[in-house]
Amino acid sequence: MSKLKSLGIALLMLFSQWANAQVIDVTMHYVGPTEGSAWLGVQQGVNEANLQGQFLGQAYSIKPVTVDELATMSDITAVLVAGDAATVFQVAEMPALADVAVFNITATDDALRQACLPNLLNVTASEQMRKNALAQWDSKNKDQKVSVQGWHEKFKKFAASQLNNRFKEAHGVIMDDDSWAGWVPPKMIADTVARTQSADADSMLAYLKNELAFDSQKGAGATFRETGQLRQLLLLIDEENKIAAEAPLRGVKGGLDSLGNVSCNK
Amino acid sequence: MKLSRWLVASLALISTGVWAEPTYRLFVTNEKSDSVTVIDSRTGEVETTLEVGERPRGIGLSPDQKTLYVALSEENAIGMVDVATLELLGKLEAGDDPETFDVDPVTGNIYLSNEDDAEASVLNPATGEILAVVKVGLEPEGVAVSPNGKYALVTSESTNMVHVIDTATYKLVANVLVAARPRGLAFNADGSIAYVSSEIGNELAMMDMNTFKITKKVSVDVPKSKPMAIKLSPDEKTLYLTTGRGAAVAVFDAATLDLQSTIAVGKRVWGAELSRDGSTLYTANGVSDSVSVVDTATNKELKQINVGSKPWGLALDD
Repeated sequence: MSKLKSLGIALLMLFSQWANAQVIDVTMHYVGPTEGSAWLGVQQGVNEANLQGQFLGQAYSIKPVTVDELATMSDITAVLVAGDAATVFQVAEMPALADVAVFNITATDDALRQACLPNLLNVTASEQMRKNALAQWDSKNKDQKVSVQGWHEKFKKFAASQLNNRFKEAHGVIMDDDSWAGWVPPKMIADTVARTQSADADSMLAYLKNELAFDSQKGAGATFRETGQLRQLLLLIDEENKIAAEAPLRGVKGGLDSLGNVSCNK
Repeated sequence: MKLSRWLVASLALISTGVWAEPTYRLFVTNEKSDSVTVIDSRTGEVETTLEVGERPRGIGLSPDQKTLYVALSEENAIGMVDVATLELLGKLEAGDDPETFDVDPVTGNIYLSNEDDAEASVLNPATGEILAVVKVGLEPEGVAVSPNGKYALVTSESTNMVHVIDTATYKLVANVLVAARPRGLAFNADGSIAYVSSEIGNELAMMDMNTFKITKKVSVDVPKSKPMAIKLSPDEKTLYLTTGRGAAVAVFDAATLDLQSTIAVGKRVWGAELSRDGSTLYTANGVSDSVSVVDTATNKELKQINVGSKPWGLALDD
């Protein structure tokens, strides 16, 4: 009887897994403007998360909230912030979010990295990273003036062109730095939930920080430093809006970690 | 019993009747020069170069090895070449941006990935008809049809999955999560095991085709490795994996996935082809603009043959 019962349960589990009956619903919260680049990027990321989730039994949604609303809420899975440094700090330092991943999409301030908050994940590159990228360029090319970007609509490598194409098709505008950085968190969360089969906030944060090998569509090695900064290459754009080079530049030692500060010196 | 007798009979028929004498031609798609280089694999000399169309990438032969198929990504078409006469036979509409494909060894239908549409299409090359379009994950790339023709696998690079399509119904029967940016696929001879490579995850995985579960996976311990094409030796003991920027072929024990050795080849090694007897491995080296010829007895590169710009994939008529 008990054998039969356990067989039945095993079969039931097998079946439910097969039929994706146990859907994991994940709601992410978002603080920031619900128009403009970052928001479009977030939406693109959520759409792609659901495209993956439909095959695996996971569903994702994003809920815009104000900082004040967030302060009254509990059971938050992850928060995305497109705002200034003060707003990012305000959210990341909420006691209720101590074990919840807070993604900084747009603020480049070094202070957010130097703070080394255990729950803060900085997607966009820091000021220091951008300065280092520029210095690498200047040490080799004295005359040509360039600016630093995290993303560019003409970037093709590492399947960047595919992401650029589908973003433009979906939203009618080019993907820029903020939309790329907005696209990242939902994709990361979807990959984490798919692999861990869990939407628990604290295990998600641990997985994001320590285990995830994320495909940022701008090359390998997109992992988080202990400062909470995402490792990534940067693009050097000339005055004709063409990609002049990628940083780290060829021949520079240290790879991606030649850009910005790597560790927390406490 | 009946089945095995039928199999023997049909095998005998195939070995005597259907196959033409092989030409021993090795065909190489050159993504950037819009051409296919034709190499005499017996001499290693380039025989000729065919202008096939825009951005040729995926390449393969019909089951009777009389027709060469080439995915022309920019033309949304599959080009066809007569293997014996090298005549261009025409182009078939193949949906948006076909990148790679595999030919069903039983029906001869072409399963192809349409990268920008998150779809896989099934094309009957005899009629030009698209038999089915299957929705898969983002950026479908690798395609492989099992040797028994029962399943077609498609990797979706930006949703990190292997999609399993039942070729009888064209329906998805499983979606298997693997490491980031899955690309290459290969089967063992009876179709019971599939192998999957992941570029960003830098991983090689083994999948049980009865349970659709990953049974083993290893990280590819080759500097700068970005795994791509997989080839299995005829005795199924050895697995060859191209590693892209690793500029090497990683050689694995196909059962344990232990890395046995690495073979230095050209830069950005991409597609691969293995001779029928398993003695010679060929690789397309995208940045070196060459094809490496590797002796699998010694695991040494014998030579590099200069081909067109950005060689992508290979097919050998042997």
